[in-house]
Amino acid sequence: MLWVALLLPSGPHTSPLDDQLRGLSMYALQYSPRTAIVENAVVVELEASIRLFGGKRTLRDRIVAEVHALGVEQVAWSSTSLAALACARGGHENGIKGALTTLLDPLPMETLAAVKPHLTTLTQLGCRTLGDIRALPRGGISRRFDKQLLTALDQAYGLRPEAHNWVEAPEVFKARLELMSRVDSAPALLFGARRLLLQMCGWLAARNAGTTSFCLRWVHDAMRARDAGDGGELTVRTAEPMRDVEHLCRLLAEHLAKVELAAPAGDLELEALDVHPLEELSRSLLPDPVQAGESLTLVLERVAARLGAEKVVRPVVVEDHRLEWMAQWQPAPEPLPRKRARSSRFPQPSFILSEPLRLSMRGDKPMYQGVLQLLAGPHRVEGGWWQRLDNGGEEYTGNVARDYWVAQSPHCGVLWVFQQRLAGDQTAWYLHGAFA
Amino acid sequence: MPTLPNTAQDDAAGRNAASLRALVQSSGLSQVVWCGNELGSQSVETVSSGWTELDKELPGSGWPRRSVTEVLTAQPSVVEWRLLAPGLGPIIEAGGQIVVIGPPRNPHLPGLTHMGLNDRQLVWIKADVPSERLWTTEQLIKSNSAGAIIAWLPKARPDQLRRLQVCSQGCEAPVFLCRPEVAQHESSAAPLRVQASAGLDWELNVQILKRRGPQQGHSLVLASVPGGLASVLTPRLRRPSSLITPEVPHVVGRPATAFRPAHVAA
Repeated sequence: MLWVALLLPSGPHTSPLDDQLRGLSMYALQYSPRTAIVENAVVVELEASIRLFGGKRTLRDRIVAEVHALGVEQVAWSSTSLAALACARGGHENGIKGALTTLLDPLPMETLAAVKPHLTTLTQLGCRTLGDIRALPRGGISRRFDKQLLTALDQAYGLRPEAHNWVEAPEVFKARLELMSRVDSAPALLFGARRLLLQMCGWLAARNAGTTSFCLRWVHDAMRARDAGDGGELTVRTAEPMRDVEHLCRLLAEHLAKVELAAPAGDLELEALDVHPLEELSRSLLPDPVQAGESLTLVLERVAARLGAEKVVRPVVVEDHRLEWMAQWQPAPEPLPRKRARSSRFPQPSFILSEPLRLSMRGDKPMYQGVLQLLAGPHRVEGGWWQRLDNGGEEYTGNVARDYWVAQSPHCGVLWVFQQRLAGDQTAWYLHGAFA
Repeated sequence: MPTLPNTAQDDAAGRNAASLRALVQSSGLSQVVWCGNELGSQSVETVSSGWTELDKELPGSGWPRRSVTEVLTAQPSVVEWRLLAPGLGPIIEAGGQIVVIGPPRNPHLPGLTHMGLNDRQLVWIKADVPSERLWTTEQLIKSNSAGAIIAWLPKARPDQLRRLQVCSQGCEAPVFLCRPEVAQHESSAAPLRVQASAGLDWELNVQILKRRGPQQGHSLVLASVPGGLASVLTPRLRRPSSLITPEVPHVVGRPATAFRPAHVAA
């Protein structure tokens, strides 16, 4: 058996809050379902998880690195839960190497919670360490003190089996964190939010799930302006179910960078809104050469978080002859239509202008950085009377009647220009694209 | 070992170089010894540019992976797709995504499908501010997940380019940075710089400004008919230069012919 005890900081008279313990146990659930809250600390039995997480050394390094962010003061490992807890309180991390008796005997006796009620008596008897108590006659201890002391002592030394109430992952995740100090700027909320994200990812791992959207709420401090309101919230969505702390954290950082707090925040709350089952891929025996960095979806998501969702787009081809409506662009994460449009076999430019540019004329020839030489045409595009468009309350039809030509310009390559009839007998030439 | 000539006599130097080359080849050293007048070492990973003539001139015969490539043009959005699209074909077939960052005009997919691109493998990032363009390019290069990256960076400074070049050492995709022609006078960390312009008769003029190896003597002329136009060109239109009447040089706003006699008279 391999037990790890995670000890939160506590003073001589204060104990960690229930919320904190609960959050820490949510985090620990990702390593093993055998997680329990014992004597104001979280203990986890990890024997069965060692291979999954890549060996004892890797698992230890990972846990030690992560729990630091959760505010854990001391981590300790041992073969029973009470021994791990005693080691943690005694300040020893490694309680595995060597026999349990030699490890536990020199520890101060207060490291075992069952000793606390009898501390005065035992001190007056001259006991200082757990070894001192163990040296007392067993019959005398059970007669003079209560049953719990002897039981706890036996359990710590592995002489008696331990029983725990395992922590269960709740159906929904909602965690709250009181910030250590008032936070004035939104990006600074990330420190606290990361702690909650770690808990959420632990909870998601325990349920074999991933989230596609989560919501971070902050509550304003009591000392706030009257018009500031109670607080604010920020919902972050991801393209695919996800439980990678680093990615979620970076995504949240991009979103928080745009938020301005109306008043200093005192509390944070994180809620997982949409939770979907997430199947993890089997790891390969050989290192995977193909994907070294993060996937393109994740990068685009991050770019979209900073630039705005409408700035990262993918094309959707529409069967239309008018150049403006031939290709629509939609935000990258949105699903593309399953049925693909037929592509046109006629020549099309590779760059177009967002608005056709009216060209000046020399005689009857259009000019764009020099006189254009019309090469091939006309390619008549006419239609669109059925389409009603709305431009700020003013309705108009998308009707076009244009003669497209391929034009050669001495300086800017091959262009796609069109001639359009204006009122009366007049015509005008426009530049619409480039065969670049 | 033949001794190096200490006098600058051409024939003696030539004989020496020839005998050195013969020695290198005969002893099987040609794999490890690099002569200064050859193209760069073969160890660079490349992806074919799609142009046979261009491949011959590029070190490793193709666009390099794990480094950035500069494409310099007199004006943006005139020749970029025509030059780059032939090389993107194999990348698209392998399932790579083409990411376009901050093009000066809107990409038009129906035209790009003629060049082998498709709607499932194209991402357009509309970054307008120079800092956004740089940041986005860097993120994509670092992630090493795109099939090819084409970024328009009109205002990049040499130190910013160096940063991108350093990042790109871990990026397997070819990275193309499209920049204005005036940037050729600035120093750049990109190991390959190519200047491209459109010729009149359906051709591209490509000059390699910088590469690993000797300087390129002449510019390449690559035949290229863009955007499916090949099917509509008549034999007469295949040489548009013959159609264009030479323009009379003029002073702004006034025909120069009216001005010239007065000038000659003076």
